[in-house]
Amino acid sequence: MRDMKGPTGMEGGRGFKMINQSSIHPADLMVCTMARLIEDGETVFQGVASQLPLVAMKLAKATHAKNATLLNIPGGVNPAGTVLSEYSSAGWELWDRSEAVFPLEKVFDLSMRGKLDAAFLSGVQFDRHGNVNASVIGDYHRPKVRLPGGAGSAVLIPTVKKAIIWRTKHDRRTFVEKVDFVTTRGNIYKIVTPICMFGYRNGMLYLEAVSPYSSIDEVIANTGFEIKTHQGKPEVMSLPTREEMRTLRQIDPKGIRYKEFG
Amino acid sequence: MSKIMKLEEGVNLIEDGMTIAIGGNVLHRSPMAFLREIVRQGKKGLRVVKTAGGHDVDLLCAGGCVSVVDAGFISYETEYGLASHYRKAVQDGLVKSNEHACYTVISALRAAKAGVSFMPVKGIINSDLVKVNDYFKVISDPFTGEDITVVRAIEPDVAIIHVQECDEKGNGIIRGPVYDDELIALSSKRIILTTEKIINRPYLTTSPKEVTIPGFLVSGVIPARKGASPCSCPTLYDIDKNVLKSFLSGTEKDKDKTLSEYLARYERADRYGGRQRF
Repeated sequence: MRDMKGPTGMEGGRGFKMINQSSIHPADLMVCTMARLIEDGETVFQGVASQLPLVAMKLAKATHAKNATLLNIPGGVNPAGTVLSEYSSAGWELWDRSEAVFPLEKVFDLSMRGKLDAAFLSGVQFDRHGNVNASVIGDYHRPKVRLPGGAGSAVLIPTVKKAIIWRTKHDRRTFVEKVDFVTTRGNIYKIVTPICMFGYRNGMLYLEAVSPYSSIDEVIANTGFEIKTHQGKPEVMSLPTREEMRTLRQIDPKGIRYKEFG
Repeated sequence: MSKIMKLEEGVNLIEDGMTIAIGGNVLHRSPMAFLREIVRQGKKGLRVVKTAGGHDVDLLCAGGCVSVVDAGFISYETEYGLASHYRKAVQDGLVKSNEHACYTVISALRAAKAGVSFMPVKGIINSDLVKVNDYFKVISDPFTGEDITVVRAIEPDVAIIHVQECDEKGNGIIRGPVYDDELIALSSKRIILTTEKIINRPYLTTSPKEVTIPGFLVSGVIPARKGASPCSCPTLYDIDKNVLKSFLSGTEKDKDKTLSEYLARYERADRYGGRQRF
């Protein structure tokens, strides 16, 4: 373990509190970070219970990735509607006013044949090896907690070019020494949380960037496995720009991106 | 020949222990009127198949109708949270959860649709779901020699799909997203449609391309106005937030009361609501 200093000299600071007191909510930072992971021209998919990815994809398309192709479960290609559902990321408003119809079944097929560039997925537990659990806490056949299930994760994470994982909780119950169950493993591109971003290299997660409102110490304190870095100190996550925030407020005036934060 | 039947008659076709595939996705266009009648009639031991379910699967679990769920995802999504009845039934050992990736449900249905007993699926080989479930097997690809996972076919006894429009022969038109409904229709032994509206001879009044479910495969057509409520039905109505909230707010102690109130509130509309048009 390296001797690491916080990227902003705020080691051990109360990162969450500071974020909440400032004008940049962790959801805004996460959405902008996720949006920047999409490059212009890429084909990107977002699934159920995915408000943050939905907003991030629209933000990317409205800013630096105007030629991205946005896909979703109902099958609307680049839906142009301006109203976002407050309770679902799989409803008909993502089909209405779209360019063409390309539903879930075909999105999966696209990924299987290596032609899906990026997909946003999540889970409940992650470990240093990039194992993802979205299935159960406890035994699979007699679980202590039956989770909703991985939806597309178990086939998309291994086959999509960039599997981008987001999780709005960053604590020791989420980032664990060993996951209770391996819903899928490997081929992770990034994991974005409210306080940091992990990268994945040689089968291991490493700390790539830390929120300017957090610190390496806070990441260490809230992660159940030993934090590694790659080539020195992690970067500081860039704050949303003025233009990104302005666009965000246009895309998501009701703030569905905050829903996951309860 | 008209295939129009009453809701009670349609649900009579469901036998205990059958495998049923449910149309729609999460909180959208679920055939709720039909599922409520399944609960009222006290069906038992059903195996339920769906890529991503929500209130539909949760209700059947609350009603004690289910023994197995084959699905990729069961939840009400972010706003309304976890499917608590499904979750508890699995945790108590009353319901077996056969977790799939949504795509392996699709692949299992595609196998049934094509009349073969399994379908190869990429990617899932990385998952421990393959180790703990007997419906996945890793075999050697006969052409390349590489390992490939196959999923066993799922051929539902009945597909239950809610559509916006349908003629009396069962030609069903889905407005908005179709989700996996065409696939579940084509892979099931029988199809029952519930419909917001009965229309006359769609082949004369609309383009045949608009028909999602071809009537010659359909066994029964049930008029069901607001038949997806409290889930949404694209182009017609959104979710009923108050009903969902009150259904989910019931505590463990008064769960029977919450369920019977929920069923009672819809009973008249479910059984008679769609009929006055005929």
